[in-house]
Parts: sequence; structure tokens; C-alpha cells
Amino acid sequence: MQKYEKLEKIGEGTYGTVFKAKNRETHEIVALKRVRLDDDDEGVPSSALREICLLKELKHKNIVRLYDVLHSDKKLTLVFEHCDQDLKKYFDSLNGEIDLDVVKSFLYQLLRGLAFCHSRNVLHRDLKPQNLLINKNGELKLADFGLARAFGIPVKCYSAEVVTLWYRPPDVLFGAKLYTTSIDMWSAGCIFAELANAGRPLFPGSDVDDQLKRIFKMLGTPTEETWPDLTTLPDYKPFPQYHPTQGLAQLSEEREVLLSHMFYNPNNKNIFNGVTSHRVCVCTFIYKKKNKRYLSKALLNTRSQDARIDFLLTINVC
Amino acid sequence: MAGNFWQSSHHQQWLLDKQDLIRERQHDLSVLTEEEYQKIFIFFSSMIQMIGEQLKLRQQVVATATVYFKRFYARNSLKCIDPLLLAPTTVFLASKVEEFGVISNSRLISTMGNVIKNKFSYAYSQEFPYRTNHILECEFYLLEHLDCCLIVYQPYRPLLTLIQDVGPDDQLLMLAWRIINDSLRTDVCLLYPPYQIAIGCLQIACVILQKDLKSWFAELNADMEKIQEIARYIINLYELWKKYDEKNEMPAILAKMPKPKAAPQR
Repeated sequence: MQKYEKLEKIGEGTYGTVFKAKNRETHEIVALKRVRLDDDDEGVPSSALREICLLKELKHKNIVRLYDVLHSDKKLTLVFEHCDQDLKKYFDSLNGEIDLDVVKSFLYQLLRGLAFCHSRNVLHRDLKPQNLLINKNGELKLADFGLARAFGIPVKCYSAEVVTLWYRPPDVLFGAKLYTTSIDMWSAGCIFAELANAGRPLFPGSDVDDQLKRIFKMLGTPTEETWPDLTTLPDYKPFPQYHPTQGLAQLSEEREVLLSHMFYNPNNKNIFNGVTSHRVCVCTFIYKKKNKRYLSKALLNTRSQDARIDFLLTINVC
Repeated sequence: MAGNFWQSSHHQQWLLDKQDLIRERQHDLSVLTEEEYQKIFIFFSSMIQMIGEQLKLRQQVVATATVYFKRFYARNSLKCIDPLLLAPTTVFLASKVEEFGVISNSRLISTMGNVIKNKFSYAYSQEFPYRTNHILECEFYLLEHLDCCLIVYQPYRPLLTLIQDVGPDDQLLMLAWRIINDSLRTDVCLLYPPYQIAIGCLQIACVILQKDLKSWFAELNADMEKIQEIARYIINLYELWKKYDEKNEMPAILAKMPKPKAAPQR
């Protein structure tokens, strides 16, 4: 621990306090995550272990680097690369809109980091602006893998208590326990909308019911027809029939973001706007700025680790 | 578990060289013969297996724990940590990493007590001497010495793929599976990638069941020299087992084994 000089407290992570620190030899700035060992019986907490073992395997420029793990008198400290801020703070520091090129760059980097995780069979499971770090070069990095886990064959049951409410997909909100990469894609879609809409969250629900209602008001309430086996989900309950058009809310005066294909059924091939194979996901958005409407497509191919964004196809001028 | 073996820490950091193993073991092998050293690892692998059975863990957890155990001593002398403490600690850590959940320490310690009393009383006349604080401290050392590489690839999944290709054969699958379990008592998990171990074990199973798959093996495009080496390790293990009276020999070997200086404090 003598190697690092603590500078300031940055925040509280899932399982411990995070400090900004300087390497005394190299003067490199790092982030230290101190792991609390409060449960005497658990030893090193499972969430910290997940982060350690997954980040050890995931080395990519859009994923935060774990440099070292230090242990000293019953404390465990993870040494991470330091980033100046997270996307949430970036939103808060903004006045007005985010430049379109920045939106595009952030989304691209988010999808590329995610494609890498998915190609390594790792689900992040807790994507939200607070977990996306941004450095001064405008690089975006996925962080906080405390809830992440490896997925494999055969598919196991996962806990339904994952992903911060606002970024949680409807199937998980209905208690689905078997899920795949679609869980992260939904969150990425929500973050995309938030980016494009100057940091205003797309579905800021207050509880599970409110969350589902907000989603259905915008995208339409799913039925057995649009989402087979919907009613068999563990916590399914009926909602009023909203129609998608009804929910095309004006999100901001300047810009309007519509998520026309934030799909419902993660297994249905057609929902990904015609692109098949469960390893390829597409989000399609209609994006309105200064009376122009744009169609934007974000494509994530986890097989080739490719992320592509076809942005700004002008579809009509209002 | 996660993703791509070729880019994994298992492949990049933990496929060791045979010469490295010999060098690292120099100290222990100045006290023990190679055969005695091997018998110690057979003994503790069986102990980890037994802890796993008592706790009803999946074989994957047991296998990962055994690999942690072997990796630790591949870089450290037996005198660094008493293997009787490291064995349950590897199970404790592997169960969390493999998402099997946290095993409570009291349960782990009482299980150790039972395992020693019921299965290994020929080697240990006293009860299990370690407590929660020892296991938690040991977990730290283990994590550090594994260099935090916790995701371990096992031969079981490649075996399933191979069997599928051969055509369904439950008898062959079960036998090859058991040979993989046995292979954990050798050094192969430190030296060879899991898919090669799977092929090696499948080959032995074919010989035992007199199933002729020679042309199928030839088409695998695998490095057959390596496969033969793996098979040799396992066959040597079986030959050792045949002539080995564990109950009578083990107490003397354990007495001879290099030990940590300080006795555990209650």
C-alpha cells in the first residue's frame, strides 16, 4: 500500500470505497477500490471476486483495466485505471445538448466494449451511466463488474434482482430468470436515448409497476401475439393497452427520441429489425433534431466483436 | 467458463512448462522422493473430492478447487501453507467463483472435521486444527499466489462436444468423465490445455472399452504426441495406484512432508 498515495475519495462502489491515488514511483493516477470485509463468514465478497476474475480475462480499451490486487492486514484493495468522471457526472456538468459526434462516439464505444464482453461470454448486468467511465480523451470504459457474471451452456437461472430499475428490460421486470445478452442491450438502448436526449433518462420509473407502465406507454403494451409466452413469466400481470403512438412523448423541445425497436421478446428473431441470429442485436431509433428526423441504427455483432452505428439517415423533414 | 480459452489467463499464464515444475519443486524434492510428492497430491486431491461430496458440490467446483490447489504448490513449497488448511480454502474460493454460493465457514469446518474423522483418520489422529480466521487469511494468500486468475477451463465441456461428434455413447462418456476426475491427481491440468486432456482421457476410455476410434482420432487434427504424453501421465497414476497401500504409507509420508514453522494457534 506504500506504493500509492491517497488523494481523495471518489465514491462508494458496490462493495467498498473508491479513492483516487497516485503511484509514488511512476506518478500514475489510479483508482483504489477498498473492499470491505464486513461479513466475517463470506471472506472475499462474491461481488469483488466476480470483478477480479472477470476483469482479469477482459482486456479491452473500452473496459476499465484492473492493474493489481493488493492485500494487507485483512484488507483487499483493487487498483484500477483512473478515469476523470462517469457518464452521469458528465450529464450533470452539461448545459444543454450533447454534440452529436459525442453521442455517436460514446455509443460506439459502449457497444464495442459490450461486444467484447459478450464475445467472452460475460454479461455485465448493471449498465447505467454511473458505471460508464469517461477520461479526458473522450474514451468511454465499462466499469463495475460486481454484478457481472459469466454465462455459458447450459443456461442457468440467474437472479432477477439485477440492473438498476431504469435500465431494466421488461422481461426481467416481469421476473424472468433466464436471460442472455439482451439484458445488456436493453440497458444500452436506454443509455443511447439518454445520451441523445441531453442526459434525461428515458424511463425514470419509481418502482417496478411504474417502470413497466412508462415502457409500455412509449412502446405499446405487449400482447401474447407480439410477445409469445409473455403471460407465463413469473411476475406477469396485465397492464392497460397502451398504443405505441400514444407514447411518442415529446422528450425535449429540441430533440425527440423514439425507440421504435426496443424489442420485447429477446428470443424472437424478427424483433431485431430483421437482423437474425441472437448474437446480433440492433437498436433502431428515430431521432428528431431541429425539425429534422433521423433514423439511427446501432448494431452490435458479438460474434465478430463488431459494433457499428449507421447514424443520421435523414428520413423526413417535418 | 468465460469465453475464449486462447485469450484467457488460463492459457496465457497457467499452462506451465515441465522444466518449471521441476525447478519450483526442487526444495520439496530434496526432502521427498518424486513418488512421495505425487502421493501427497493424490491424497489431498481425494480430500478435496471428499469435501465436495460431503457439501454436495458440482464436479466443476471440485475440479476448480483442485486446480487452485495444484497451481498454488506449483509455485510454492509445501512448507508455505499446510495443505490441510489450503484444501478446504480452495473449495471455499472455488464455490464462490463458480457461482455455487458461499459455503459458511462453520459448515466448512464441521465438514472438514467429519471428513478427517470418517475418511482420513488413518492419517490424522487429531481433529481439524484450523478455524475461520485461518481460512479467511489463507484465502487472501491463495488469491494472491494465483495472481487473481480464478477462471479455470476444465476438460468436461470439450469432452461433451467430442462425444457428440463420436455419436451418443453413455458408457464411453461416463468412463471418460471419470478418467478426467482421476486426471486431477496428476500434473496434466498444469501442463496441457483442457481440450487435449479431454482427448487423452477419451482415448484411454476407448482402450478400456475396446472401442476402435482410430480413424476418428486421426481426423481430429490434434497434436497426438501431446495426447500420448497426457495418456502416459494418467496410466502412470493407475499403475502407481495398483501397487500402493495408501493407508499404511501415508502417515510416514505426511510426517516427512515439509511443514510451516508455526503451529496453528487456536
